[in-house]
Amino acid sequence: MAALETPQPSTLRHAFGNVLSIFVLLLIGVFAFSIRLFSVIKYESVIHEFDPYFNYRVTQFLTKNGIYDFWNWFDDRTWYPLGRVIGGTVYPGLTLTAGTLWRILNTLNIPLSVETVCVFTAPIFSAFASWATYLLTKEVKGVGAGLTAAALLAMVPSYISRSVAGSYDNEAVAIFALIFTFYLYIKALNTGSLFYATLNAIAYFYMVCSWGGYTFIINLIPMHVLLCIVTGRYSSRLYIAYAPLVVLGTLLASLVPVVGFNAVMTSEHFASFLVFIIIHVVALVYYIKGMISPQMFKVAVTLVVSVGLIVCGAVLAVLIALVASSPTKGWSGRSLSLLDPTYASKYIPIIASVSEHQPPTWPSYFMDINVLAFLVPAGIIACFLPLSDASSFAVLYIATSVYFSGVMVRLMLVLAPAACIMSGIALSEAFGVFTRSIKFQLPGVSQNSPVNAGDAGNVMQNDVVKTEKSEDSLKERPSRKNKKKEKDKVERASVVPQIEKRLLVLPLEASIIAIFLLVLLGAFYVVHCVWAAAEAYSAPSIVLTSRSHDGLHVFDDFREAYGWLRHNTEVDDKVASWWDYGYQTTAMANRTVIVDNNTWNNTHIATVGTAMSSPEKAAWEIFNSLDVKYVLVVFGGLVGYPSDDINKFLWMVRIGGGVFPHIKEPDYLRDGQYRIDSQATPTMLNCLMYKLSYYRFVETDGKGFDRVRNTEIGKKYFKLTHFEEVFTTHHWMVRIYKLKPPKNRIRGKTKKAKSKASSKRSGTPKKNPWH
Amino acid sequence: MAIFTTLATATSVVPLLLLIFNLLTPLALSLSSDSIISELSALQFQSPTGVIHLTDPLLRRILALPTPRPFHFLLFFDAQSLHSKAELSLPTLKTEFSLVSSSFYTNNPDQKALLFFFDIEFQESQSSFALFGVSSLPHIRLIPPSATDLKKDSIPMDASDFSRLAESMAEFIESRSRLSMGPVHRPPIVSKKQIAFITVAILIWTPFFLKKLIAGNTVLQDKNIWMAGAIFVYFFSVSGAMFNIIRKMPMFLLDRNDPSKLVFFYQGSGMQLGAEGFAVGFLYTIVGLLLAFVTHVLVRVKNRTVQRVTMIIVLLVSFLAVKQVVFLDNWKTGYGIHAYWPSSWQ
Repeated sequence: MAALETPQPSTLRHAFGNVLSIFVLLLIGVFAFSIRLFSVIKYESVIHEFDPYFNYRVTQFLTKNGIYDFWNWFDDRTWYPLGRVIGGTVYPGLTLTAGTLWRILNTLNIPLSVETVCVFTAPIFSAFASWATYLLTKEVKGVGAGLTAAALLAMVPSYISRSVAGSYDNEAVAIFALIFTFYLYIKALNTGSLFYATLNAIAYFYMVCSWGGYTFIINLIPMHVLLCIVTGRYSSRLYIAYAPLVVLGTLLASLVPVVGFNAVMTSEHFASFLVFIIIHVVALVYYIKGMISPQMFKVAVTLVVSVGLIVCGAVLAVLIALVASSPTKGWSGRSLSLLDPTYASKYIPIIASVSEHQPPTWPSYFMDINVLAFLVPAGIIACFLPLSDASSFAVLYIATSVYFSGVMVRLMLVLAPAACIMSGIALSEAFGVFTRSIKFQLPGVSQNSPVNAGDAGNVMQNDVVKTEKSEDSLKERPSRKNKKKEKDKVERASVVPQIEKRLLVLPLEASIIAIFLLVLLGAFYVVHCVWAAAEAYSAPSIVLTSRSHDGLHVFDDFREAYGWLRHNTEVDDKVASWWDYGYQTTAMANRTVIVDNNTWNNTHIATVGTAMSSPEKAAWEIFNSLDVKYVLVVFGGLVGYPSDDINKFLWMVRIGGGVFPHIKEPDYLRDGQYRIDSQATPTMLNCLMYKLSYYRFVETDGKGFDRVRNTEIGKKYFKLTHFEEVFTTHHWMVRIYKLKPPKNRIRGKTKKAKSKASSKRSGTPKKNPWH
Repeated sequence: MAIFTTLATATSVVPLLLLIFNLLTPLALSLSSDSIISELSALQFQSPTGVIHLTDPLLRRILALPTPRPFHFLLFFDAQSLHSKAELSLPTLKTEFSLVSSSFYTNNPDQKALLFFFDIEFQESQSSFALFGVSSLPHIRLIPPSATDLKKDSIPMDASDFSRLAESMAEFIESRSRLSMGPVHRPPIVSKKQIAFITVAILIWTPFFLKKLIAGNTVLQDKNIWMAGAIFVYFFSVSGAMFNIIRKMPMFLLDRNDPSKLVFFYQGSGMQLGAEGFAVGFLYTIVGLLLAFVTHVLVRVKNRTVQRVTMIIVLLVSFLAVKQVVFLDNWKTGYGIHAYWPSSWQ
């Protein structure tokens, strides 16, 4: 009787557990989605920042013209006069995802606009990402750790910063793809199933489509394989998990136009091929080892090793010579700056200039992963006890990503999932130990009445089965058929370790305090994350707000300026600005720009930088040679908006000077200090950027007090000779100037009269008699 | 500046210019300036790094030159008696100073006579110290050609200018003297011969290692090594050490208001000091390590009292560590992190 009855509550328990986990996962998904909606609630449903505007524009094109036109799209609105081949230079994953989503919704008769779909793509994929985290962590350390990790990931601030509603950028889908690819790799590794290996290659393809960060995967997985081989963990499962990924994955990756032959030609991918060769050699060695006697094997090994070393040496020499012959050693600048952190600051100002490529300080970690920073070491140690293929992968993931995040603050995003997985494991283990300690030492339970003991034993048994199972899954995973038999065995055997396990408890009251503190830590994490989502990461940066004693101020100057351009200029007019505003200008004003945020042509950017740092006449000549009609500058001095062009100006000088040596940074600095007040150098006070930013600024308050630099400006009263102001937004944040037409050659007094007339503002755009 | 160019190109100079020059300045003085420069060049040549040891008589003769003098000079104030004081780090600064000097002379062989590097010893030249009004060390001073009053016209180097050692000293000189310094050449840590030796050693060692590896008994198979390595990488990264390396941040700063005090923590989230990073990195790591200790080691301990006492200590330490980091973060960044309670609760 008893034998019949006991399995029943156990299966019921399992079923209940499964339903509960599904319900919890559902809630986690809802939570991950809704915590990202602060930006929509606080501002409006609008695309954020810079890059998302480009993605939005591409998505619009895709939905309007279809995939083939998108693939062949040559965009003549940017990089004038060069243009840009969009289909071949963009990672299409995000665009295709949102486009498909929009299409599906429309076929279901849900008429959402493309913009709405774009705005909400990121939150939807964050929910997917947290589910993927659950799957991955479950493979590493079981269901409990999986659920905890998923909950942590749903609200980790680092990820929120890139995936709030409206932040329509590659990372939004890429993080999901990254985690899911890792999950499938681990799943393939644990099961040795070719099905998962194939899926893994497809997931990798999706990742390659989505983000340049795919190189992280194609280096991390080979590293893990190599690690497994070196530490003597080679198995046929490892081969199955890895070999198809390299073959299929590389073939698929080269289908993406932006990657193309880079998938086999650049150094970022060489590691995977090298490991591919190594794993074959190792597989062969293991195969031969199984076939022949140990003595024969020894002889064979010495023979093969000596011959193999010579061949390897030759191949390596050729490879090194090949790689060394290229100037950057075959690595792209961004990857190089990861390996040698000081590289970018020395050689590539355009990479060093981007704020998200700076190395983070310790508060960044507290801001972005918060209390997880405390829990990760515990997770790392838990992964080593016991060490399995899957947990060694998790350790490798955290170690590499934490190093990369230390080099570039932007890669904190890659660290976040790893930190969540580790903390999930740590928290779940800690809760496991503490709750166990409480459960078996509660005054009511500890009295060994037979009924209670049975109950407790039952629970314990469950626990043991679970841990045994996961441990077993971590070691040798036999094929599916054997697995069921094993399970039965384990269940039968589990009565024995039960007694041992019962001793592993901590004092009751200390455990209660510990649980209380852990819950407090978790609560602090939630508070911090909600605060970060609401206050720190929800600003769309296209609409700004500031709170002062007399209420809320909204600065909508950017859209005002772009709207003005759209309505008041000719369709084919060219607008010059610093590259930061390129994407927005093309997307919102629909005007042609000279440079944009896709910084593919350094010379072109340097040309604009040089123009901005030159005196008016030289600048006019440069702009005129580029057919520029309007120049747009962003100025924060009136309202105190710190990321304006004057603050970015030194980078313009630096980048300009990198290509045109007559622009020298020290000319703009007084004793090594950047200043715009009366102590500023004459070069600074006469450059175009200064003039366009501070033209007529003194008329606002009579003193010309700059509220960002907190000083009075150096040169207050001046006239523009080659540019005329055509539009300045409400808060002076965006100022648009028009290039004056070249003057007619008129002698004598008439010339003066003419120039006076032209300096007045006039509404008619047609000044040039040649028009 | 005019004299300065004339002198530099003295061999090929137009006689007319020399004539004007001679009319302007007394002949005797011009000769002595020539002789001093050649003497200084000789001294510079003798010194392996190009730093000239300055004595009171030599300084007097240099100062006797009419202004503007034909060169800048940089003075390192040294005191042997203070070399033992670690917090002043005089020996380090002195080697860095000579590094700047040797780099300048290798980068600009044609400008050797435009910038001279001197060091001066407190014991033997106390009067010169008084002349410059130097009362505390470390002290480095740049004397421009036009300086007449040594106290006022010479430019002392700020603590921030030698905080990043040779590189920042070079930047300082570059910005004040308008001479181009070029990159600082540090001697490589390993010489070429050593590199060759190491390569050969590795090549010989590889087959033996492979054999061991196949047999399965190397350090690589010891998981504790990997665990320690992973934890170390984590500690290293979260402490922001990469920031310190890339930005070449010092471990601590001297307080501007009170030089005897040291500043270990820098307010403002965009910057951090070395010691500060490691301290917080340690706090980040210790909590996790203690938690792992409790869940994996302490549970196996049989003695209840030991368990109880250890746990209480662990919990207390962890709690204080978290609290300290939260406090430091709020202080450093100035963020007011708050929860969103219902307004009726307040």
